[in-house]
Amino acid sequence: MGRTQHGMDRRQLLLATGVAGIAATIGKSAAAQDAPSGSIRVGVSEDGYRTDERANIGFFPLNTNIFESLTYLTPDYQIEPLLAESWEFVEPSTWRLTLRQGVSFHDGTPFNAEAVKYTMDRIAANGGGVMGIGEESNVIVDDFTIEITPTYVNMRMMEQIGHPNNSILPPGLNPAESRNGSGPFREVEYVAADHYTVEANPDYWGETGAGVGEITFQFYPDPTARLLALQAGDVDLIVDVPRQSASQVEAAGATLVRGPVGAYEAMYMNIHGVEPYDLGQDIAVREAVSIAIDRQQVIDGAWQGNAEPGTTMIPPAILGDSASLVSAPEFDPERARQVLEAAGWVEGAGGIREKDGRALNLTIINGYGTAADHGSVPELIQAQLSDIGIDLEIIQTPDTATYEQRLGVGEGDLWLEAGSQNDGNPAFLPELLFSSPEEGGDPEATAYGRAFATGEAFDTAITRSREATDIAEVQEAAAEAMNIVVNEERVVTPLCGFYRIIGHTDAVTTFDLHASGVNQRWTSLTLAE
Amino acid sequence: MLQFILRRLFYLVPVWIGISLVAFLLANLAPGDPARLALQRALGRQPTSAETNAAREQMGLNASAPIQYLNWLGEALTGDLGLSYRTGKPVLESLAERFPTTLQIAGGGLLLAIAIAIPLGVLAAVYRRGPIDHLSRVVALLGAPMPSYWVAYLLILLFSVQLGMLPVAGSQTWQHAVMPALTLGIGGSASLMRLTRSETLETLNQDYIRTARAKGLHSRTLLIRHALRNTMIPISTVLGMRFAGMLGGAVIVETIFSWPGIGKLVVDAIFDRDYPMIQGFVIFMGTAFLLINLIVDIGYGLIDPRIRLGRM
Repeated sequence: MGRTQHGMDRRQLLLATGVAGIAATIGKSAAAQDAPSGSIRVGVSEDGYRTDERANIGFFPLNTNIFESLTYLTPDYQIEPLLAESWEFVEPSTWRLTLRQGVSFHDGTPFNAEAVKYTMDRIAANGGGVMGIGEESNVIVDDFTIEITPTYVNMRMMEQIGHPNNSILPPGLNPAESRNGSGPFREVEYVAADHYTVEANPDYWGETGAGVGEITFQFYPDPTARLLALQAGDVDLIVDVPRQSASQVEAAGATLVRGPVGAYEAMYMNIHGVEPYDLGQDIAVREAVSIAIDRQQVIDGAWQGNAEPGTTMIPPAILGDSASLVSAPEFDPERARQVLEAAGWVEGAGGIREKDGRALNLTIINGYGTAADHGSVPELIQAQLSDIGIDLEIIQTPDTATYEQRLGVGEGDLWLEAGSQNDGNPAFLPELLFSSPEEGGDPEATAYGRAFATGEAFDTAITRSREATDIAEVQEAAAEAMNIVVNEERVVTPLCGFYRIIGHTDAVTTFDLHASGVNQRWTSLTLAE
Repeated sequence: MLQFILRRLFYLVPVWIGISLVAFLLANLAPGDPARLALQRALGRQPTSAETNAAREQMGLNASAPIQYLNWLGEALTGDLGLSYRTGKPVLESLAERFPTTLQIAGGGLLLAIAIAIPLGVLAAVYRRGPIDHLSRVVALLGAPMPSYWVAYLLILLFSVQLGMLPVAGSQTWQHAVMPALTLGIGGSASLMRLTRSETLETLNQDYIRTARAKGLHSRTLLIRHALRNTMIPISTVLGMRFAGMLGGAVIVETIFSWPGIGKLVVDAIFDRDYPMIQGFVIFMGTAFLLINLIVDIGYGLIDPRIRLGRM
């Protein structure tokens, strides 16, 4: 990650906004709330917690709301204060955070700057994260003020710091051994790979505490078993319903709920490959591919209608008003044929186009997250490209490691990926995937850039997004960068925007589904009388 | 007998070294950086170069492959199989924690397979071409090709969704173990039934059986005391192998029933290139296979005293 170069106009004090949303909670009495009643069992996917020095039990990937971060990512990807009340940027590279007072961890330990320093030092000891936290970064100013100076000028730190992996721990706590947070739920029992039970925290500092007395999260690694558990009445709510079988939830008499888009599926074209993977260097081929894909057919055929046509490879909500600046290429197979014809790709044997004796054969690599995550999408793309005279070979890699190894050596033309956005930084994914690679950088870390980077215009837009102080400018610059890779350079072909899908029985009255699963707040869950 | 057992246990040492070396080479030949993969899982995103480098240093992955293996071997000889890259927990602790849970369903599955397959196989042989033989053939034809995940879903639909008798998945009560054990047992019983039938038929055609029958020995005594004992020798060999296979290969069943066993543990380890866990598993299961074979060999002597272990 490069060091930001700041001009003098950007070296000014920045007062962060965003106090309004939770301002009502300031000064709130710490008196115990009325304890909600009722209990519910929730079917979740497999237990993905770690127990080593990076232990994250209770906060990632399943966020049981035992712990809290300094900021909160709203379902529409805006940042709100949580354990930090406000923040300001102090030139040249420091963030000064004012912390919420009157907050205690579940065992009564007061929340203060020492807890934040302990948490940030722990992140520094594990490499510093995307925020670039170093061993010397964290300085306590007073009990409720802390200064964080990342190892590079990081204007996006407050969008990043709300990620659940940065949840605040009381000093000395090892989450592998015990879980003592400040959140609306307290731990009752964690049985690895089986279940996690939490109860409402009656002393929660926030205005909106738990709406249910107890939640037991039951781990079901197999999605079909999770669905059957709902049908059998073992659980009253399941998350991450497989989109191919979502209709079974309603068929079983349960309610299906679709949330906002927080994940995506997209295809990237290798534009720096060497023969035989060099056809992506031809802009005509890239353009033809991008307009030959019928997104709606992909959604209907592979996902049973349970997705939206993708416009970028980040959730549109994170771009705010600038989302309209980037749109997906329009499906137009006739024009795709004309583009190829004009570029000299003429129909050859078996309907496959040729140019200078070379057939238009492309290879798509499927394996990120896993090949199974993409269902029948590769086959649908294969059929659609065949319709314009492109032969597509499908290669399924057995796991992500093999996929990345193949990407590292550039063996493939098209790369099919699914991912999600879990923090509030609009530049995070585009920067990670399409920035020009650093000279001599780690081969695996630069693999994406070596295959997909489009060059200066994109890098400039991303730098602007990374360095801007005003969030609207951040969003606008990120949208500009996305537009370059989607519509100008045609490196990215967005396919689908994925929303989360849950199913629940009549026992559940309300539940606000978050676009990002790891940022889910369970406080909105209430039960029927 | 003791000498035989000691000799077989001594054989474990070169086997351990051999299989650990093969496991290490295979794991290292597979593409992917374990540090990067462990971080991706922990962070839910692509790690930065600084994070990857810090993790590689912590994991000892910056040393050359031979040094990594020798370091691991040196510690393994003292009983320390290292720390899992994926969980950070001691490998031996994880294996010891998970093995008994797999043993429960594999043991249950084996008992079930025996209870179904052996009586039905023997009866099918005794009443050859009769209704029981036809029934056993139908059961075997249906049972053998059915994939375990299909059997598992059918059982869930029947016992959980329709009858509401058993929980779909989990591991906290004995009821949770019933369907995983049934799935493994049904899968194992089909081929075992056919083997029992053919072995029993072959034994029943032996001269000594014909002689005993000519002497007027009661058919039940003939079957149980003479025929079945001989039939049990090849069957016990297959049972041993099948049990070992259930221990190491129950991953699909464990995933569907959320059963925290050793099979799921190692498959996750393979995806994450968790070298210490893969090597530890290979050593652990290699030992289990050898011990099961040893028990089967000892069992031969009990079934047929003519087989003397010292000469095997």
